[in-house]
Amino acid sequence: MIDWNDSSWIEKMIECASRVQSLRATLEGRDTRIIVVLIQNNLPIPEDPLAAERAIALCSSCELNSQSLYVLPHGQHLLGYTIRLESAFFEFCQNYYQSLIKNIKQHKEHLNKSSHQYLYVRHQFKMAFLSELRQDIQSAHKHYTLAYNNLLDIRIVDTNALEIRTIAGFINYKICKLMFVLNLPRDAISQFKSHIDKFKTRIGFQELVFEHYAWLSKQLEIFADIFDDAVKHELPALQTQHPGIYYEQAAQYAIARKNSCQDLCSKIIAYPSPDPLEGIDKMEFFAQRPWRPGKIAAEPPEPVVEANGIQALQFLENQINHSGIIISLYGLAIAQYKIYKCPRTRRHLILKMAEECYDSKDFGKALTLFTHMLSDYRQEKWWVIISNILEKAIKCAFLTANVQDYIHLAFEILGSLISISSEDKKRIYENLNRILKKQIPFGDPKLPHDILQNAIILWQPVFNVDASAFTLDMTNITSCIETKVRFAKPTFEMDQNVILELFVKSFCPFPLTFSDITVKINSPNINSEFSIQKSEDTSLVFHPNEVKKYNIEFESNPNDINKEVQVEWVNIQIGKPDYLVNLKFGTQITQSETIEKKYFHNYGKVHEFKNIKPLYNAVIVPRNSKIKIKFEHAPPILLEECYKINISITNEELNNIKDMKVEVHSENTNTNAQFSLSTSMKAEKLPLLLPTPSDLTVNATVTSSLYVKVTTLQSCNLNVKITYILDNGKPIISIKNELVTLPVCQPFEVSTAYFSILMQEIQKFYAGEEFGVMPIVKYNSPWPIQIENTSVDFMPPIRSVESKVQSHLAGCSFNTEEIGTELFLAISEKMSDQNMVIGDYTITWKRENGLTAVTKVTLHGHHCDWIPLNLKLIAPAHGYVRTPLIIEYHLINHSSHLVQLDGGMETSKAFMYSGYRQFSVSILPNSTKILQYNLYPLMAGSVTLPRIILSIPENSTDGPALRQDQLNQLIDRNIPQEIFIMPQSNTELPEMIRNQLEVVS
Amino acid sequence: MAVCAAIVGKDNSPKFFCCVNPDEELNFQYKVLSSLDIIEEKLSPGIKPNTEMYLGILYSLENWKIYGYVTNTKIKFIIVVDSSNLTLRDNEIRSMFRKIHAEYADMVSNPFYIPGEPITSKTFTCSIKNIITGTV
Repeated sequence: MIDWNDSSWIEKMIECASRVQSLRATLEGRDTRIIVVLIQNNLPIPEDPLAAERAIALCSSCELNSQSLYVLPHGQHLLGYTIRLESAFFEFCQNYYQSLIKNIKQHKEHLNKSSHQYLYVRHQFKMAFLSELRQDIQSAHKHYTLAYNNLLDIRIVDTNALEIRTIAGFINYKICKLMFVLNLPRDAISQFKSHIDKFKTRIGFQELVFEHYAWLSKQLEIFADIFDDAVKHELPALQTQHPGIYYEQAAQYAIARKNSCQDLCSKIIAYPSPDPLEGIDKMEFFAQRPWRPGKIAAEPPEPVVEANGIQALQFLENQINHSGIIISLYGLAIAQYKIYKCPRTRRHLILKMAEECYDSKDFGKALTLFTHMLSDYRQEKWWVIISNILEKAIKCAFLTANVQDYIHLAFEILGSLISISSEDKKRIYENLNRILKKQIPFGDPKLPHDILQNAIILWQPVFNVDASAFTLDMTNITSCIETKVRFAKPTFEMDQNVILELFVKSFCPFPLTFSDITVKINSPNINSEFSIQKSEDTSLVFHPNEVKKYNIEFESNPNDINKEVQVEWVNIQIGKPDYLVNLKFGTQITQSETIEKKYFHNYGKVHEFKNIKPLYNAVIVPRNSKIKIKFEHAPPILLEECYKINISITNEELNNIKDMKVEVHSENTNTNAQFSLSTSMKAEKLPLLLPTPSDLTVNATVTSSLYVKVTTLQSCNLNVKITYILDNGKPIISIKNELVTLPVCQPFEVSTAYFSILMQEIQKFYAGEEFGVMPIVKYNSPWPIQIENTSVDFMPPIRSVESKVQSHLAGCSFNTEEIGTELFLAISEKMSDQNMVIGDYTITWKRENGLTAVTKVTLHGHHCDWIPLNLKLIAPAHGYVRTPLIIEYHLINHSSHLVQLDGGMETSKAFMYSGYRQFSVSILPNSTKILQYNLYPLMAGSVTLPRIILSIPENSTDGPALRQDQLNQLIDRNIPQEIFIMPQSNTELPEMIRNQLEVVS
Repeated sequence: MAVCAAIVGKDNSPKFFCCVNPDEELNFQYKVLSSLDIIEEKLSPGIKPNTEMYLGILYSLENWKIYGYVTNTKIKFIIVVDSSNLTLRDNEIRSMFRKIHAEYADMVSNPFYIPGEPITSKTFTCSIKNIITGTV
């Protein structure tokens, strides 16, 4: 801390100067620059004369120029100041390296290619390295490439091969690394590949070939490392191009190194003296031979010294744990292959790793690796590979005296698909038998003697136990024994025995003898093992390809009704009681068969072993009931009807039954159907218990009935469930289910028609005018329907105009497709823009001999208009020729305004008449004007009346309350056009007729 | 020409294997099995389906090149070629695969062959051998 205004500035300045002095002394001879940085507490003040003066003083006392003095204020913004200081330093460094490079370039000009070949490489390397320090990656890469090319120009002979390839390795490492940094992974890979290709054949001394392989292996490993590094820095790698490939090749070269070492170095037992490798740590240059004169590779070697040197290297090579290197390289490769989704390649590498473990006599680890890999290969059925693995694995199992694995593998090897020579199979079979007799198995005669000896020592304690039993899981392996189990049926009724068929086939080329076979069966209430031996006398010796079938029968537990029974495993026991091996065949995993197998495999006999389909599950179902249920009814159900169903139950079992319960429930859960036990249709909850006696003797019948009422057109299901116990000593619950579907039908459809009082169909009502309502009832029921009564309840403002309403349909009976109609007279008191509801039409009906039902239908009419005038003709029903008759036209004004009309009567040929021919009327509000005419009929028959014409006066002051067209319609609607005129009344005529009748009779 | 040809079923189990040099069969089996990794990746549903059955080169190892071909029914044909054989063109590999495919189709049509089982027909072995050694 030296502030410009420090009180002891002079002392501190002197101290600083002395330190600079001593630093300079120690750095004597190096091309360095010294810079002083003052760390100050106070911020610098611009234009500070004291600071300027003291800075000059400090520089001169330290013998520095003014550019080499920096100040770092230690206060706020420290980071900003340090960054500025850093960039200043960086600039110094850049300049320094630049000047070094310049220096080297100057050297280069004095070189010539013939005598300074090595220096060409060296200079380029130096420049490249300095460029790298300058952080100038591009030029670093350029110089390294030049260095590499210069190196390639050097002729490689045996003596300099090691040196050249070592240096090539260094340069190549740099090039590849920089290429990955420059994001040129493809170039890096191709550079590396060409590097390996160039040097692969440059072996050097044949005696030291392991050195070459070690170098190759290292090159690959290092490249894999930098590749992996690049991947970690987000370089995307591919399944076909990733570091694992290089690790794998490195491992392969490591194996080559090991093999060449075994060839070359196994005879070397002594290290030569004097030590030819003395001073190897202090060599000036990499990879030169310390024993050579001048230590330079290019000198011609002295044969004896050279031989000693080689011997020393061979001796040292022999000490190296090659397997360790190989295994670790495989480990790295395996990890990479796992990342890049190559499970099979990875497995292959694990096997190679296992083989290496085997080679390094780590049999236990090898066995573990082998056995772990087996399952994957089994899944894909590569039997040749599996055979190969098994062969190796069983050796390992033997050498580690692993009995369980040995037996396990032996059973697998003896299978038909494993392609191992039959002598080997025979040997393994014999060994298996020996183990079961507690004897030490024989080893593979191909194994070296000392290893066998070791193994036998390991085997000795294995059988020193009194009794031993262990279980091997055979579920997933394809062994020489196959089992198949199937239930005889997928369902078993409660009163039957469950039958399980067990098939065992031996694929072993030699006979096998088992001591017991058991099957474990599970259900919620059973957990039992069933043994074969106890139930049948068949021998348990299996000859090659022999299939044996065993039946297992047992009673099911009554609590297991509707539950599943399952086979959990089949266990085959082999060996003597004091040394038992249980082979457990599980049933959980059932490999799904391919479609081809499903369609193409069913050739040959169905009973052939391979065509047997296993069935591990069966369901216990209640016994099949022999009870008979009969429904007596007349479907379909008619809507709203109280429908009766008779149910009769007949016991056709061989025994009496007791505790019988009859339940009725409906399948469709919606509430459109009501069930009841009585005609009152009191709603009851489902399931409905029918009142039946609980006991029923053989062949007896019980009958019960039930009523259903349906309110929507949706068919309804009726399920009758009878639960009972058979009275035969063994209380077995039996269940009988019977379903009946009841279709629903509408008994009739109601439509309505409306008529004017002249019996013309109308589409519109007029307030205050009478009209006729005609319900039309169409019958759909397949059964005849009797109508008990019908009625219409009019809804205000519509009311009936009949004093006494009477049903015309009552008492009639209708069949399908028949139609019944009746007419009611009504009047609307108010106008309405919308279609009016006329009222409810109620029909009381029943089936013949059925129960009465009531159906209500709402009748919908038309809308209702209003006009102020109404018109009525009062006339007798008929008249007589030449007899006067009086007709009256009533003009009714039911508005509160005056109605004025012009009118007239047309002439008619059929009548003479008296009355106004032409008139003009004023009808007072709410009053009636009567126009009377006296008609004198001239003709008989249905005669057209003289037409009345009404019109609105032209100078009428009334508004548009009444229009001409409304008037015309009114006349058409309400005034009959014709009247019936009888011939002149002749009192004698009836007598004449009477006389004639008398004559005829 | 080729040194080994293999037919692998859709469950990835070997259906047929044929090597010019029978001693190398185990080694080639490992190689072919490893190349299934690449085929599986190429057929994985994430990658857009390639309508061509020829998959091209799967592995280029130091001594061998492995080529693959997949039928519509996911039967895989694999050919191993000696790397030193530089005269072999892509077209020849393709035609080799086509011939094998035709042979395979004929063989599957044989009513005595059960689809999905390993192929044991001697005629078939003979014709495949002829195809890979280039004597046809």
